[in-house]
Amino acid sequence: MSTIDTPGERKIVTFSLGEQTFGIDMASLIEIREWDEPTPLPGVPSFIKGVTNLRGTVVPVVGLAERLGWSPSVIHARSCILVVNIAGKQAGFLVDEVADIVLIKDSDIRPAPDVEIGEPSVIAGLVKTQTRTADGTNGSDSLMVLLLDLDALSLTRQLDIAA
Amino acid sequence: MSDELDDIQAIFFEECAEGLAAAEAGLSAMDAGDVSAPTIASVFRAVHSIKGGAGAFGHAALTAFSHCFENVLDEVRAGRIAPSPGVTRVMLQAFDVLSDHVAFAQGLAGLPHDAVVLEALDAILAQGGAPDHAAAPAPTPAPTIAPTITPMSAAPTAGGDVDPFGFEPVTVALEPLDPFGFEPIAHDPFDDALAEPAANGPIAWNVRFVPSDAALANGSEPLLIVRELELLEGVVEAVDLDALPPLRDLDPEHSYFGWTIRIPGHVAEEAILDSFDFVAPGSIVEVTPEYAARPAPTGIVAPPVPPAADVAAPAVVAAQVTAAPPPQLEKPAPVRAVEDRPEPARVAEPPQQSIRVELVKLDMLLNLVGELVIRGSILADRLSPKDQERVELPQLSRLTREIQDTVMSLRAQPIRQAFSRVPRMLRDLSAETGKDIRLETTGETTEIDKGVIEKIGDPLTHMIRNAVDHGIESAAVRLAAGKPAEGTIRLSAEQRGARILVRVADDGGGIDRARVFAKAVEKGVVAADAVMTDEEIDQLICAPGFSTADTISNISGRGVGMDVVRSNVEALGGRVEISSTPGKGTTFTMILPLTLAILEGMIVRLAGQRFVLPLANVVETVQPERGQVKPTTTTGEVIELRGNYVPVRRLTRTFGLGDNDTRRPEESLVIIVETETAGHVGLLVDTIDDRREVVIKSLDRNLHPIRGLGGATILGDGSIALILDIEALVGPATQTPNRYVTKGLAA
Repeated sequence: MSTIDTPGERKIVTFSLGEQTFGIDMASLIEIREWDEPTPLPGVPSFIKGVTNLRGTVVPVVGLAERLGWSPSVIHARSCILVVNIAGKQAGFLVDEVADIVLIKDSDIRPAPDVEIGEPSVIAGLVKTQTRTADGTNGSDSLMVLLLDLDALSLTRQLDIAA
Repeated sequence: MSDELDDIQAIFFEECAEGLAAAEAGLSAMDAGDVSAPTIASVFRAVHSIKGGAGAFGHAALTAFSHCFENVLDEVRAGRIAPSPGVTRVMLQAFDVLSDHVAFAQGLAGLPHDAVVLEALDAILAQGGAPDHAAAPAPTPAPTIAPTITPMSAAPTAGGDVDPFGFEPVTVALEPLDPFGFEPIAHDPFDDALAEPAANGPIAWNVRFVPSDAALANGSEPLLIVRELELLEGVVEAVDLDALPPLRDLDPEHSYFGWTIRIPGHVAEEAILDSFDFVAPGSIVEVTPEYAARPAPTGIVAPPVPPAADVAAPAVVAAQVTAAPPPQLEKPAPVRAVEDRPEPARVAEPPQQSIRVELVKLDMLLNLVGELVIRGSILADRLSPKDQERVELPQLSRLTREIQDTVMSLRAQPIRQAFSRVPRMLRDLSAETGKDIRLETTGETTEIDKGVIEKIGDPLTHMIRNAVDHGIESAAVRLAAGKPAEGTIRLSAEQRGARILVRVADDGGGIDRARVFAKAVEKGVVAADAVMTDEEIDQLICAPGFSTADTISNISGRGVGMDVVRSNVEALGGRVEISSTPGKGTTFTMILPLTLAILEGMIVRLAGQRFVLPLANVVETVQPERGQVKPTTTTGEVIELRGNYVPVRRLTRTFGLGDNDTRRPEESLVIIVETETAGHVGLLVDTIDDRREVVIKSLDRNLHPIRGLGGATILGDGSIALILDIEALVGPATQTPNRYVTKGLAA
């Protein structure tokens, strides 16, 4: 899992949610698991779908779509949960489909314009990546990826606000 | 880098806490009359290491205060000040201030006012530390490097058959957990020590000191240690340059030198060892005594100590620089010259090897082992008994259970940690109330989960206070009742099955049930015509609302914060039992779970979802008949139970689960639970699946405490069931939000 960081470069995992492609820092990712109905929790905001068992640890599962203020994702065969580490806490994010792992240059990240998604602060920046064809070569189209700021998505902070 | 420093600071403060505990234990023992050299030395060592660490981290106030404290301790240790009750009392006060100073250094409290205590300490030094040459036929060791101490004064008890040096041969092998694997660890210092010839005292010490290669990188400065040894009149005899590379290969961050230093024999070996308190891990430190052909003239009147005693009592300190807490370093402390006679030969026990592990790592291990157990039971579910045997699953299961037990035991600590502050508290209470009280403690080695120990401190304080305030009568009353004037409080702990029983028993007057009942009626806790058994009346003193502050003075029975005791103990999943015999005394028993990690629970279903109901709350289960549960309002219901009406809650509504609001009660079960805030309450559940022990997983580790939930657990099939926090679920929502959060965090 460990990636050797070259200064100025980083690996991101891209995934789709609705019509958009998002990316998160590879370093924050713990694992990608199949969707499995979590145990619902009472008295929590609706974007928290419940808790699931990650090797003996109880981890909350968050509907990222709801978290961003969209309508809930429809569960389908390629739905999966990205388990990430946010400031020492673990959380799973329900996403529509994991797309790719790409290497980006920090210098390629553009500051986020006022994107109409929940709070703008959850978007750390924009980056353009090349789409890849099935044989792994770079395609001609470029794809815009919204980089998520996981710290801003931090659950406890959100719950503090909600409480 | 600053993070690293913070980490080291955190370790320092951990060590401070341990040091303070050791100092307190020692001081309490001294206060109780144990002024033996090992006890005094343990206090000295604890304060000394706090001072050293404080200096290293630049806590000036803490350093200054602990230095003064240490000076007095050193004089007492050297026998120049007698540990009279007066001196001990000042030292107990100094200990309190020292604790406050540590808290200040941690940023937890303001700067304590230490002027009064400092003055008292100075006064002791001024009167006791004055040298008395007449009584000093032989030099007495001044075994410290603290520069302000008057050396060479007389031990009051010197003479007789005392060995004025009190030296034993010593070999120190500083081979701690070597992070780099450079040093062999399997070296038994005893072999060397026992091989040393026994004699009255060495004429010199040969100290070999080779800092670990990485000493400089670790931030330690070997030269400072050499300078300190020079202050002890040490002379560098040789410098080992063998490891020194050619100049072009020289790494300035690398430590290449080794020193051989000769220190005069009158310097205490402990003073030499003290210099190595902050030596880098992996360094070699050897202190070897050098003996003359015959014992040096020492002015001993009595025949020399038989060699056997010396052989049996060599102080061998295998110091683990990073690992061993101070008290363990202290175990084989040498016998000092203060004693009237040499202490009987003690069999030197090997110092316990220990390492410091973060609790988080233990919990992670516990998690993973729990998971292993669950996977094992899933496997067992899927395999027929025959197949299980074939793949030797039972053996595997047994092994995993054993691993689980072992990991749990790692979190266990002797309950002594909670008991240790009782003697001191009792002393203070005794002074406050003017009652003479004797404390008998048993079972302090009983081991219990560290988390439980941390949380029974308050209840224990209340129980002791209660026993003194309301249990033990005044001396006059006791004498009139034919009892000894001195009251007795017995504090005991024992393990019974998966529970730990902690008892506080007094031999006082017992609970005055008539008055308790009258008070309870007056307070509206019970109805005036209620028929109650003695046990039920005794339990009243734990009722909230009964024991508010203004009733204490009016009640001659009991009631100081006993509801706090009950709620704290119940928050731990335990309960409190009271038994009282009029005229004979009262016994409070805390029945505590062995561990916080496991809970005995009932697996119930609510709207199909499984939940765990802590068994500690459950009173009984009722299969209601038609009409037994009656609606009172549109949402409220009660169940009729033997002539009483108990409110019934539908948790499905509280949780917003499913749509079984309209389910008929006779198709469900009602579980009657006992709560502190709402008394008996019935909970409507679909079914009871099982009754079993569950491993508690906290929700707030990755999320946030959630109202009504005490945590979660992972069931045999790997799915998660939520643990109900009954108190928070049925209690008034608005009044106890803070308490609820605390409970959520505790789970």
